[in-house]
Amino acid sequence: MLTQIRILTKLELCNLYGLNVLRFSKDKKSKQKNMGLMALWIILLVILICYVGGLSYGLIYLGLEDAVPAYLITVSGLLIFFFGMLKAGNIIFQREGYDILCALPLRTGAIAVSRLLKMYVEDLLMALAVLLPGIGVYIWNIRPGTGFYLTVLLGTWIIPLIPMAASILMGTLITGISSRMRHKSLLSAGLSILAVLGILYGSSRLWAVEGDINPEMLKDLSASIMALLEKVYPPAVWLGMAMIRGDIPGALVCVSLSLAVFGAVAATVAFSFQKISQSLQGNFAKHDYRMGKLKADSLLRSLCKRELRRYFSSSIYVTNTIIGPVMGCVLSAALLFSGTDFMEGLLPLPIDMDSIVPFLISGVFCMMTTTATSISMEGKNWWILKSLPLTTKNILDGKILMNLLLLLPFYLLSELFLIVALKPGAGELLWLLLIPAVIILFSCVYGIAVNLRFPVLVWESEVRIVKQSASAMLGGMGGFILAILCAVAVGAVPGEYAAYLKAGICAVIMATTAVLYRSNNRFDICGKVLSHR
Amino acid sequence: MLKIEHLTKHYRGSSKGVTNLSLHIAPGDIYAFIGHNGAGKTTTLKCVAGIQDFDAGTVQICGYDIRKNPLGCKRQFAYIPDNPDLYEYLTGIQYLNFIADIFGVNAREREERIKKYGDGFEITASLGDLISTYSHGMKQKLALLSALVHQPKLLILDEPFVGLDPKAAVILKTIMHSICAEGGAIFFSTHVLDVAEKLCNKVAIIKDGTLVTSGDMEEVVKQGQSLESIFMEVAGHADTD
Repeated sequence: MLTQIRILTKLELCNLYGLNVLRFSKDKKSKQKNMGLMALWIILLVILICYVGGLSYGLIYLGLEDAVPAYLITVSGLLIFFFGMLKAGNIIFQREGYDILCALPLRTGAIAVSRLLKMYVEDLLMALAVLLPGIGVYIWNIRPGTGFYLTVLLGTWIIPLIPMAASILMGTLITGISSRMRHKSLLSAGLSILAVLGILYGSSRLWAVEGDINPEMLKDLSASIMALLEKVYPPAVWLGMAMIRGDIPGALVCVSLSLAVFGAVAATVAFSFQKISQSLQGNFAKHDYRMGKLKADSLLRSLCKRELRRYFSSSIYVTNTIIGPVMGCVLSAALLFSGTDFMEGLLPLPIDMDSIVPFLISGVFCMMTTTATSISMEGKNWWILKSLPLTTKNILDGKILMNLLLLLPFYLLSELFLIVALKPGAGELLWLLLIPAVIILFSCVYGIAVNLRFPVLVWESEVRIVKQSASAMLGGMGGFILAILCAVAVGAVPGEYAAYLKAGICAVIMATTAVLYRSNNRFDICGKVLSHR
Repeated sequence: MLKIEHLTKHYRGSSKGVTNLSLHIAPGDIYAFIGHNGAGKTTTLKCVAGIQDFDAGTVQICGYDIRKNPLGCKRQFAYIPDNPDLYEYLTGIQYLNFIADIFGVNAREREERIKKYGDGFEITASLGDLISTYSHGMKQKLALLSALVHQPKLLILDEPFVGLDPKAAVILKTIMHSICAEGGAIFFSTHVLDVAEKLCNKVAIIKDGTLVTSGDMEEVVKQGQSLESIFMEVAGHADTD
């Protein structure tokens, strides 16, 4: 069993982040592209290191050095849990390659464990990226004793285990429930979104009860931060305190606890692995179709319908891209029911909420567009569109229209909430309607532009495209970053000039969108970039 | 119908590809394209179908140049790859409707053709099911059905008989003959030399990316010989599968 796990894990890990392809590819251009992607990851890593390092330095500067390890462990734990919950089901019960593995003399438990270990390595890397720079800053400033180093060595490798266990349990539960249904992907996406909303609601309640903390404790900021962290994720505080105190027995208790929790979850997953995998493979073919009347559709309508069906066939695609619009509606509803004063209180600077709301809403709506990965998602089916008498414009219009149709109901609902909440005048109403529309359109077109330049058409799992590809990172967040930058600019100018600035911003974004749209449509989809063997 | 002139395509960092390949396929031709694995058959077919760019040469279909007027070309032919990866999230009928919409086939004509070929391939009852539930052979039949739904003048097929049951193979051969009888043409790659010899009036043999021989089947396969022996002769024993 152990040998099987070792061989399978080696197989799972050999192409982690596309390293195997990078190593053995003889195509210079593809190698250069992969190197570029690697450079992008390194830049993002440097940004993260600077951010976490700065944050840790800030805590130490405020005299809250004891909170640093616990804070870092909590942050990495939350990241692992959120991202893990959305991808766990897809990684563990990945259908690609399942038949080949099942035909080999392997234990199903070994297949499940190797997939869990792949997730663990990815999550450990994420935890290290958060933890190491912060710990480095801590060591530089505090000069802790030997006990600290020993406990860090003991405790670091177990950081992903409990958040991973929770995310795997949630992911398995969702996949397990949906595997019994005909519309597995749609149900799985719906359950994932419900889980995320539930967690967000729960965490908002958690922050709300902060007021119950003893006033005596509030005098000691460090204690109150630790109390809050303990509410969010208690093991982080236990391990963090063990590190600060150099408490090796305490660290060992944390290690044992993490291993026990993870072991129990891994055993549950390994036990249910075959059953769930087979349910996912199971087909619902009826073989009872009778030819009836068929209907002809226009080219664009037909392409758009196909895009919609593609979209709703993938739970991870839906979950990752629908969260933004759902959150946009939740935010608008929060404004309606809590009022703008509450939201203004959450902002770090005194800014006129009415003025920046359209940008904030647009930003949330455009957190991840479908267009940014829509070409990569074609994968092995890309030959179909390439062999049909379709122009680049036909294909891309279908993808943009699908994204816009998907966002339309959320946009309308959100606008309705905002209009009732803010009761804007004619001028403000125009900006409230126009700005999100302009930014949404831009982000859809921008997403296509990025995916055309960073396509990945050969992949084993949709997770690789939706969560780890360059176009998902660069393309999906384009509209979000633009909206935030615009909100900052509008918030910074005096109120009497805000309308002029908004008009200017809209004009520039529309012009940029038009230029990008034309440039996209001139792209040779049968040319070198999107050709593959 | 199809004119390939001096087609050259090489992959970066690989010695594989196609060099200076020229072929002419006339209306009424059933043209077999044979060669060992990695000889360049699929590369040639992909270049002809406009799926893959090429380094040099020209490809003309019904007078349209695939590079200058890809849309004009693509309206004339249907292409089916060796392993038809279809949209698994669509049902069979949704896929056929999608293809028919792209080619602008009206509702009445698509109904007639889907019924005719669907019944012929015995796949009609499965058209309401998701393609992900289909076997390899059923996917192959659906791909063929989607190629026939818009009545192309030229069929470009990569290993069309792989995965088909004997009855479907016979039906496909009949359809190929009827397309050619109506002035169309078929260009297909195959490893089944017996079928190629009996079915085709023309043949081309490719080895290491270079055309070794081509022409009328009777001219290539001389008296007393078989296509298999000719293939073994020109392609060499060492390269056979």
